[in-house]
Amino acid sequence: MDRSQPAVVVEDLHRSFGALKAVDGVSFSIDHGRVVGFVGANGAGKTTTMRIMATLDSPGSGRVSMGGHNVVHHPAKVRRLLGWMPDSFGTYEHMTVLEYLDFYARALGFKGADRLRRIQEVMDFTDLTPLADRMSNKMSKGQTQRLCLGRALLHDPQILILDEPAAGLDPKARVELKNLIRILAQEGKTILISSHILSELGEMCDSLLFIDKGRIVHHGDAESMVRGTETAGETLVNVQIAGEPAKLIEWALTAPLIKIEEETKRGARLRIQSADDATLAGVLRRMIQDGLPVLDYHREERRLEDAFIDMLGQIDRNTFKAQPPEGLPLKNTEDAK
Amino acid sequence: MNASFAITDFPDRLSPMVVKELRQGLRTRLFAGVLLTLHLMLVLLTLMSGGAENATVVSGWFDGIVTLVLCIIMPLRGFSAVADEIKSGTLDMLALTRLSAGRIIFGKWAAIASQSLLLMLSILPYVVARFVFGGLDLFGEIAALFYKWLAGVVIAAVIVALSTQRQFWLRAVVVFLLLMMIGAFSAFSFMVMTSMGTSTTSDSMVTFFTKSGGGSSALLVVGMAAWAIFFFLSLAATRIAPTASLLSVVKRSVHLVMILSLLLLGWLTGAGADMGMIAAGVLALLMIDALTERVNEVPSVYAAFYQRGWPGRVALWLLAPGWVTGLLYSALLVALVAVYVGWTRSVEEAKLVAVSACGTWMIAALVQLFSTRKSRDLLPPFIIFWLFVNVVIAILGIPLMASLSMRSATAWFTCALPQFLSSGYKTAQAGDKAALLQLGMLSACIWPAVLLIAAVFAWRHARAARQEGWRMIHGKNGGTAV
Repeated sequence: MDRSQPAVVVEDLHRSFGALKAVDGVSFSIDHGRVVGFVGANGAGKTTTMRIMATLDSPGSGRVSMGGHNVVHHPAKVRRLLGWMPDSFGTYEHMTVLEYLDFYARALGFKGADRLRRIQEVMDFTDLTPLADRMSNKMSKGQTQRLCLGRALLHDPQILILDEPAAGLDPKARVELKNLIRILAQEGKTILISSHILSELGEMCDSLLFIDKGRIVHHGDAESMVRGTETAGETLVNVQIAGEPAKLIEWALTAPLIKIEEETKRGARLRIQSADDATLAGVLRRMIQDGLPVLDYHREERRLEDAFIDMLGQIDRNTFKAQPPEGLPLKNTEDAK
Repeated sequence: MNASFAITDFPDRLSPMVVKELRQGLRTRLFAGVLLTLHLMLVLLTLMSGGAENATVVSGWFDGIVTLVLCIIMPLRGFSAVADEIKSGTLDMLALTRLSAGRIIFGKWAAIASQSLLLMLSILPYVVARFVFGGLDLFGEIAALFYKWLAGVVIAAVIVALSTQRQFWLRAVVVFLLLMMIGAFSAFSFMVMTSMGTSTTSDSMVTFFTKSGGGSSALLVVGMAAWAIFFFLSLAATRIAPTASLLSVVKRSVHLVMILSLLLLGWLTGAGADMGMIAAGVLALLMIDALTERVNEVPSVYAAFYQRGWPGRVALWLLAPGWVTGLLYSALLVALVAVYVGWTRSVEEAKLVAVSACGTWMIAALVQLFSTRKSRDLLPPFIIFWLFVNVVIAILGIPLMASLSMRSATAWFTCALPQFLSSGYKTAQAGDKAALLQLGMLSACIWPAVLLIAAVFAWRHARAARQEGWRMIHGKNGGTAV
C-alpha cells in the first residue's frame, strides 16, 4: 500500500435512494494510522458512506479510494486491505466460534497450518479462546462483538471500518472494545468508527467527522469541535441542591445573566453569561442569600454532545436564514438582506 | 489451545462455502429427522416386500417416499438459503472475502446436493435388499434412483436461484407453481406410458427410463441437467455479484456453446428436428436471464472490452452485462435456432419459435414500461409479469375458450399473446393456419420493437460510463467510445 497518499480519500460522494439524498457531496480524507470517529444522527448518511467505502454499495457519483484503489474499479484490491464490521454482527446457527473463524479464514484464502495459526492469533487477541466450542449465536452481545471484530481482523487488514461497534454493549464490553481499538491503533491501522456515544469517540479518536443530512459539517479533533462551537464569555455550571430542584429552576428563571441549559435529577446545568471568576462567585453567593440549599456548585467542561447539538442548531439556523420556508415571513430587515 | 485438533473435519481443498453449509446442514434437526424417518419407513417397506402379492404397492410407496425426499424435501432446504444471508447482513461479510458470487451460490447448492447424495447412497442397501427378496431389476432401480437424485439437484438449483429474491411471497408462489408443474409432468408421463402399453407398476417405469433411450439419451439427460444447474446457479450469482462483475461474459459464452453443441449434435446424429426443439427450450430459459440484468454503469466493465481491441468492441454488444446487450444476444440466438428449426423441421415451426421468443420479449417490454424498480434487479418484476401473463391470463382464458364452440374462432385469440400462438396454431383449422401465423407474427413484432426503443434510451443512459471506460484504456485523447 502506497503510504505517501492518504489511506482513505472520499471526493464529492453522492448517493440517493429514490428521492432521498442519503449522501450529498461528502468529501474527506484520512491519513494512514489515524483513528477517525464518524458521528451523525440516525439517517444522516454514515452507514451509506461506509458501505460505499467497503465496496458494498455503488456511489451515485464521486470517487472513493481506499489505499490508493478506486472502490468501484478495483473492489477486489480494496477488499484485501479492508476489515469491515457492520452494525449487525451476523453470526450463524449451528456453528461454533472456532468453526465460524475457520470458515472466514478459509474464505479469505488461508490454508492448513497457516490458517490455524492465524485463527489462534485472532482468538488470543480478542480473548475468545475459552469460548472456542461455544455456538456462535448463543453468546452475549459483547462476546459476539469480539467475535465479529476477530473475523474482521483475520486477514490483518490495514484499514478498519467499524459501524456502531459499541451499540447495545454493557459498560464492561465497551471498555474492552476501547482497549482493543487502542491496541489496533498502536499497530498503525487506519480506523473509521461510527458511533452515537460521542464521549467515547472523543477519547479514542484522533479526529471526528460529523455528518448531517448527507453532508460533512465538521472534520477535526474533539477539542476544536468543542472550542469551535463555544460561545465566548459564557460558563457552564452544574448546581445540585438539597430538596426539590424546582426551587433552583424558579430562581434561575428570574435571575439575570443565567439560562437553564438542562434540568438534572438534583438540580440543573446553568449557562452563566460571564467567564469572570468574580461573577461566578457572586452567583453562588446570591443563591445562598436567596435560601437555596446548595450542595454542589462547579464549573463544567463543555461536552462533545453539547458542541454537536449546538453545531446542528447553528446549521439549521443558517439554513433557515439562507432559505426561509415558503410562506413564512422574515423576522426583520436584516434577515431579509 | 486445543482448537487446532478440533477443526480438521474438512480438507482444505473443499470450497469454504461447502464446508460451512455442511457443518451447519448436517447439524439441523430437519436433516437428522428426514434421515431417520426415511430409514425407518424403508426398513418397514423392505420387510413388507417379501410377499409377491403386495410387491406393486410396496414399490409404489418406496418410489413415492424416495421421490418426496430427494425431489421435494431436500431441494426445499434451499428456499431461504441466500435470502437469510441477505437479511442477516452476512452476505456483505461473505462478499468481502475472496469468495466470488458464483462460489457462494455454488456452495449453497453443493451442500444440498451432497446431502441428497448421502441420502441416496444410504438408500442403496434397501434397493439391493429388495432385489434379493423381490427379484427387481437392480441396475434399472439404481438408474431410476440416480435420475431422481439428478432431478432433485436440478430443482435445488432452481430453488437456490429463487432464494436470491427477498420477497417470501414471490418465492413461495414460484415454488408452489414449480411443484404443481412437477406434479403435472409426472401425471403426463404416467399417461404417456399407459398409452404406450406399459403397465403402471414402478418396475415398468424403471424399464421405460433406462432402456428405451439407451446410453446416448442418458448422456443427453445428464448434460442437460448439468447445463440447467449452471444456468440457475449463474442466474443467482448475477443477482448478488458486485456491479463491476463480468459474470455475463462467462454465462452467455457457456449458453452459446450449449446451443451450438445441441445444434451440432443434432446435425451429426441426424436428430436435428428434436435437437432444434430442445435448443428452443434452452433459449426460452436463457432469455430470462439475459433480459433481466440491469444495465451496467461501471466504466471498468466496458474498459475490459475496449482493452481487447475490435473483437472486444464487437463482444461488448453481445456479452456486456445488462439487458440491452441481452436483447441483441437473445435476438442472435433466436435467429440461429429459428433458421435451424426451419432447416430441420419446417418454416412454419421456425416462425413459431420466433413468435414464442417474442412472448419473452413481451414480458421484458412490460417490465421496462411498467416496472417502478428499473434501477434494481429486474428479475422479480419479470417473474410477476410472467406469472400474470402465463398463469392468470391462461386461467381466465380457459373458461372463455371453453364457452366458444367454434375451435377456429378460439385460435384467433392467441394472436394477441405470442407465447400461446403455437397452441392456437395447432388447434386452428387447416385453412386458417397460414393467416393465423401471419397475423400472430405481425402482432408479436410489436414487442421486440418496443423493447428496442427502450434499449436505445438505456444504452444512451450508460454512455458516460462507456466513454469513461474508453478513456481508461486509451487515455484522454483517445477519441470517443461507441
